[in-house]
Amino acid sequence: VSSHDIVIAGAGSVGLPLSYYCAMKGLKVLVIDREASWGRGQNRAAIGGIRATFSDPAKIRICTESLAIVSRFEAEHGMGIEWRQGGYLFVAYDEERERAFRELLGAQRAAGLDIDWIGPDRVVELTPGISTEGLRGGTFSPGDGYASPLKTSVAFHRLAMDAGVEFRFGEEILGMDLEGPRVARLRTDKGSYSAALYVDAAGARGAEIAAMVGAEIPVHPDCHEAGVTEPVERFMEPMLVDIRSDSESGNYYFYQIGTGQVVFCITPRPQIWGTDTDNTSGFLPLCARRMLELYPRLRHLRVRRTWRGMYPMTPDGQPIVGYAREADNLLLAVGMCGQGFMLGPGLGRILSEVIAAGERDYRGEYRFILDQLAPYRKFEGMELLK
Amino acid sequence: MAGLEGEMISSALFANGITRFSIHAKGDAPQGIFCANGQCSQCSLLVDGLARKSCVTPLAAGMELATIRGFPPLPPSGRAVEPGAPRRLAVDVLVVGGGPSGMGAAKELAALGLSVAIADDKEKLGGKLLLQTHKFFGSEGDCYAGTRGFDIATRLEAEIRSDSRIKVLSNSPVVGIFKDGRAGIYEDCSAYLLVDFKALVVAAGAREKSVVFPGNDLPGVYGAGAFQTLVNRDLVKAADRVLILGSGNVGLIAAYHALQAGIEVAGIVEIADRITGYRVHADKIVRMGVPLHLSTTVVSVEGEGRVQRATVASVDRDWKPLLESARSYEVDTVLVATGLSPCDELYRQARSFGILAVKAGDADEIAEASSALFGGRIAAFALARTMGIKVEVDESWIAKREILKSKPGDRITRERAEPSPLWKPVFFCDEEIPCNPCTTVCPSGSIVLRERRGNMLDLPYFRGSDCRGCVACVAACPGLSISLVRALDAEWCEVILPYEFEPDFAEGERRLLLDQEGGEVEEAELLKKTFNRKHRTWALRFKVTRANATRVIGLRVQRPEATAALATPLFSCAAEDAIVCRCERVTFGEIVSFIRDNEIRDVNQLKAIRGGMGACGSKTCTPLYAAAFRAAGVDPGSVAQGSLRPLLVEVPLGTIVNEGAGK
Repeated sequence: VSSHDIVIAGAGSVGLPLSYYCAMKGLKVLVIDREASWGRGQNRAAIGGIRATFSDPAKIRICTESLAIVSRFEAEHGMGIEWRQGGYLFVAYDEERERAFRELLGAQRAAGLDIDWIGPDRVVELTPGISTEGLRGGTFSPGDGYASPLKTSVAFHRLAMDAGVEFRFGEEILGMDLEGPRVARLRTDKGSYSAALYVDAAGARGAEIAAMVGAEIPVHPDCHEAGVTEPVERFMEPMLVDIRSDSESGNYYFYQIGTGQVVFCITPRPQIWGTDTDNTSGFLPLCARRMLELYPRLRHLRVRRTWRGMYPMTPDGQPIVGYAREADNLLLAVGMCGQGFMLGPGLGRILSEVIAAGERDYRGEYRFILDQLAPYRKFEGMELLK
Repeated sequence: MAGLEGEMISSALFANGITRFSIHAKGDAPQGIFCANGQCSQCSLLVDGLARKSCVTPLAAGMELATIRGFPPLPPSGRAVEPGAPRRLAVDVLVVGGGPSGMGAAKELAALGLSVAIADDKEKLGGKLLLQTHKFFGSEGDCYAGTRGFDIATRLEAEIRSDSRIKVLSNSPVVGIFKDGRAGIYEDCSAYLLVDFKALVVAAGAREKSVVFPGNDLPGVYGAGAFQTLVNRDLVKAADRVLILGSGNVGLIAAYHALQAGIEVAGIVEIADRITGYRVHADKIVRMGVPLHLSTTVVSVEGEGRVQRATVASVDRDWKPLLESARSYEVDTVLVATGLSPCDELYRQARSFGILAVKAGDADEIAEASSALFGGRIAAFALARTMGIKVEVDESWIAKREILKSKPGDRITRERAEPSPLWKPVFFCDEEIPCNPCTTVCPSGSIVLRERRGNMLDLPYFRGSDCRGCVACVAACPGLSISLVRALDAEWCEVILPYEFEPDFAEGERRLLLDQEGGEVEEAELLKKTFNRKHRTWALRFKVTRANATRVIGLRVQRPEATAALATPLFSCAAEDAIVCRCERVTFGEIVSFIRDNEIRDVNQLKAIRGGMGACGSKTCTPLYAAAFRAAGVDPGSVAQGSLRPLLVEVPLGTIVNEGAGK
């Protein structure tokens, strides 16, 4: 049995930054992942958007922190992550959507967001070639942007390695042994590890890990497919989000990444629950149709690759962050609902503060986040800009 | 600029002397062709404003072609998109690849009563047969030995196209296999077709392996297959002088094709200490005047924006180049023929989804096309049985395939033939390979395989005395290694030699004749030249001294100056600058330091430095990563492999919705 201050289950969107920030606090950290390397759970499937444009204070706060981290990343650490502050543009083509977006602006601004309503002309300026038929405008948040999930996870892994974090890949977590109210050790197929604190950052497998101490948490993955095109000269800056739905699909979004390619993703309707990440034939024709209806100019753009990943969903579309009832020293950081990449850096830094404070009933400035995202909340309603 | 309507743009440009196509976004590097086969996308150009692979885009009158500098612009387009009706097809079996194995499989499956679709990314079926202007080895009855590849393709294609049970989807790359048992097909490169199938045959052939050396992405470095496409299929004289890397059959045949096209061959470079292809092929090439450099590797290829010079050096026992032995050659083209890797991605993808699939031909195992003919049929039967159809595979097929794909056997010393007043064939093949056309074309049945192994690998011998001097064996032998000899008197003999070039010398002229390994024997007078139509080969009758009559077998074709090295070697070697990922121009050095610095043990992580992220879908770079891991001190066996994802070929979004195809 080797001993650490913290053992983190999962070297993904949340686990990687968390391990780094904890190590920077002087903690001895071990990260265990069953994949061959970091970011190979759902982080690999992330499309790269990072926004603070949400409808609730906790996610706004966490992602504001993430934006602060990634926007200064290259300057601070000398590693490029293809960050680009292109902003997020939610477009409205009907009155209902316009009203909903406008109504949110107050709360969003109150939470410190730089966001405003823009008219059709400005929309066209930001996304030349977008369909103008029925276009009413949209909300634009210029502080948001995007980065490469691949590069970002490589960078966080590198920082974590340099800060002394130990990684164990290809290792399957089999169980956690409770002694009284505490986890005494975590067992894998290759060894056994003990620590003062255990963190469940296992993403789509979060519920499975939590269940090892008898905790039942409502994290259920659903599947989304995404794709990337060939690169072209830059023609649009923002992440473009259309939250309308039709009979086959919900919202979809796309943007031009740092390397000039267009990355796109759609929410199928009905949702596809489960953990199957194999590609299906329906995705491309469906997503292509919706994208082209909105943006005919993309017709000649060639699709290069597609993939499928999971959104570890919670009933209200908000993450689950906090200590488990069943084990005093098990911290849950799961249920990112497909936003692990954008939540991860901020959440990692915030949780490192919470952990460093050393008490289960943390009372610091981030308390409201733990309250809002508490594992045992009622899970009512749905985050509006999920 | 002029070109032939319908020919591929890349070939038309080569014919006009243009070999540099676009400028890569990384390092402003000029890009030429590499595969000329729709696999790699290095030959992309702006075709009427859209980025397209020029090697698979047919030329049309009035087309506007332009270099892509960096990333191409996205054309403006105001018109609304009208999605067309989804195109669907349902068959029992989808065969991917219309080469010899795919056509063989499709034919058998259809004969068993199954509905079959065969999809190929080219307009004409035949696969690599279409590029093969040389005569086939193997047996005449089983696999058309002695017939040229493209003639075989034409016959097979006619059979497939006339079979009403087979739906032919030509010019239609299969771009992905999906979990729900469907394939996405880029139908006629203009529509998106989803095919429902119960089972899949992947007979997609093989692709040229790229090879890592500094300068390996200069325009003018390309695959031997690409060369065959340009020269043999499209009849373009693609180069003036080439250097060939690799002495396997592909490299040897490329040298032969070059000479046929009037292109000089500075030499063939082989890192191993022996020839890896058939000995008869190699002997024939050497006789034609092409030197084979064994235990030699390419050190560097250089030039201003295109290949102008290649430097090679001998290697030590660990295949490390000994730079003091470096020699530079002035060439404009370096052909990569260091091996093939199977195009089996769709098979692996299907199997990972639990879809019933078999593979055949080169996609299964790299071997001669002759064995692929049987491989496809055998795979079809194996698949049919899995599908519950009661069939028995003809055991003899399996035996034949095994023999046809076998590696060369032993070398056997032949006893020296003695000339006599009667014609007799003299054989210059002394290595056991699966080949027997001489035995089947001989009208008197006087040529037989002398039983040693008891199969087609055995060597042919002349039995008895009934040779009529008809030259059938001389003309049919794909190795050009049979002569006919008869004694005229005590001093002189007549010798008939095969010649596959247009003889530019007249009867009565004297020519230097060579022995099996290219050694000079004697100058002899040409008595007569006759053309054998069936095998499209000349038979040249010389008057030779009796002592040499059974030693001579060939004539030099190439002038010796073509193979001379520069007086002093000229190169600046930087091995780490060699390109591994051609699409994204990721160098060997970048990859090795990334692996070291980040403790990489997973090929997927190389995507962070763009390795494998390009248009080819990581098909070209994947086989090269093992060497980079090894160089970084990591056992490649311990490294997780890259994941497979559609699409195999890029498809426009507008095509995916079948824009404009009506409802």
